[in-house]
Amino acid sequence: MALLEVQEVAKAFGSLKAVDGVSFEVEAGEIFGIAGPNGSGKSTLFNIVTGIPFGPDRGRVRLDGVEIQGRSGNAIAKLGLARTFQRETSFDGLTVFENALIGATYGGSVRATALAEERAAEALEFVGLGAPSFGRLAGELSVFERKCLMLATAVAMQPRILLLDEPASSLTKPEIEASIGLIRRIAARGITIVLIEHVLTFLMSLSQHLMVLNNGQVLARGRPAEVIADSRVVEAYLGTRRPAA
Amino acid sequence: MTRPIGTPGRASWKEEAVGMVLGLVVLALLPFLFTDTYSRHVLIMVFIYAVVASNWDLSLGYGGVFNFGHLALFGIGVYAYGLLTKLAGLDPWLALVASGIVATAAAILVTIPILRLKGIYIILVTFGFAQLVMQVILSQSDYTGGTQGMVRIPGLYWFDHNMVRDGKFAYFFLALGLLAASTLFLRVIVRSRIGAGIVALRDNEEYAIARGISLVRQRMITLAASAFFTGMAGAFYAAYQRNASIDVFGMSLATIILSMVLLGGTSTIYGAIIASFVLTVFAELMADFGAWRPIITALLIIVVMLAYPTGLAGLIRAGWAATAGRLRRAAPAARPARTG
Repeated sequence: MALLEVQEVAKAFGSLKAVDGVSFEVEAGEIFGIAGPNGSGKSTLFNIVTGIPFGPDRGRVRLDGVEIQGRSGNAIAKLGLARTFQRETSFDGLTVFENALIGATYGGSVRATALAEERAAEALEFVGLGAPSFGRLAGELSVFERKCLMLATAVAMQPRILLLDEPASSLTKPEIEASIGLIRRIAARGITIVLIEHVLTFLMSLSQHLMVLNNGQVLARGRPAEVIADSRVVEAYLGTRRPAA
Repeated sequence: MTRPIGTPGRASWKEEAVGMVLGLVVLALLPFLFTDTYSRHVLIMVFIYAVVASNWDLSLGYGGVFNFGHLALFGIGVYAYGLLTKLAGLDPWLALVASGIVATAAAILVTIPILRLKGIYIILVTFGFAQLVMQVILSQSDYTGGTQGMVRIPGLYWFDHNMVRDGKFAYFFLALGLLAASTLFLRVIVRSRIGAGIVALRDNEEYAIARGISLVRQRMITLAASAFFTGMAGAFYAAYQRNASIDVFGMSLATIILSMVLLGGTSTIYGAIIASFVLTVFAELMADFGAWRPIITALLIIVVMLAYPTGLAGLIRAGWAATAGRLRRAAPAARPARTG
């Protein structure tokens, strides 16, 4: 049985079908990539899977066999499904350490203070935010540091599956390289990863399986090398070649 | 093995406790410095306002919930105490605590319609809630006295001590005790995981939910926690003044208390307390200026907010940082030069 099963989910905003009958499965331990041009429905798909800020209009989402569609976003998070956001996001009024503590205590449901603190500290050090940065306000961090902090708060939850929404956006090339390494290390901890990215090289270097969306529907799915060779995918990304005059 | 980390980037509980005790000792010495009844009355009012303002800071500053019904919780405390002591004949001390509980229940009730709302819509609903409470009180004039209010409400007692003829000595210390208990309660909350959750939800609602925070539960906790001591302050006010008036629901008092929260600097608790002291004492000093008094006070608030958008707390922090910097720079110079 797959860890995450998404069946025929759909979400419409008025007459716009943002996600239209998408199905996919993610096996435990794998890195599953989701690609697609801007407006193809990738982030909306994450929203309806996580229930943040809304669930699907129809379809089913199962986490380890348990149906989660219709549950509140925080309840889904506590079940072990964590997500990040496209923009670097942090709790700016809290320190770096307090940010990670939120992940450990709420999402990770750790009641004991010392254990929560240890888990938060470990998660921060794991993403490269060492002890000297613990007392800094999150709002003072750079874009890359905030992206790392967002990952640390997710790692502190000790989730079973982590949905990453364009982790490479707004980053420089060396930072993207560092992000790839970090995501590999998160996967090595046994956390299943679903990754949205429209930079195909980023996805190719990480994913074991790839799904491409276009206009809210699944365009192609399979091994990354096969998927990017698919003429429909090439067309969605690059458009059709104009016939020679 | 677990290792305690503490609160990096924040003052430790030990440091804060020392500051709190020192502040409490200074305040406790004031009635020995100001022996006249009027000065003590002003200080009692400072403490009551400080409780209301600092509790508002929890929901408005820390929680980011524009609860414009906060003063209604104070008013509920005033009338709950009046009704419980005068009509139900409840012991004043029990009524004091019960009024806090009634205000908390009212806060939980008002949370329900604002759960899914944001910004201006929360203002609208909570303001409507305040008006609704006032109308209910006015309509039940047989019990509440309507526009006339309630008079001869039983005051508090302290064994056989004469609370009326002691130059407001006992009421001063009871008000100080209320402020101390409320401040300790608020600081424990804001330093706890609940407090971090309140701030997280304010900073980014969707991200907070994605990290397992329940919007419903957290918002209810925020408003309920800010209501208990506000209701008790209302009850204390009724016991001290021995009357209840519909004026407590007016915009005038709400504006004064809101000014205290903003002037003090939000998300500090202490800032609201300091501003309560500054604004109340300043208003008393300006008494001879008549109609100019509110104008001068408003100008003072504007000047402070322009210079220090983080309020008096920001001003104090900046002053403290500058002094600490000067001391650090002076320290190497004072050290004798090494030779050889």
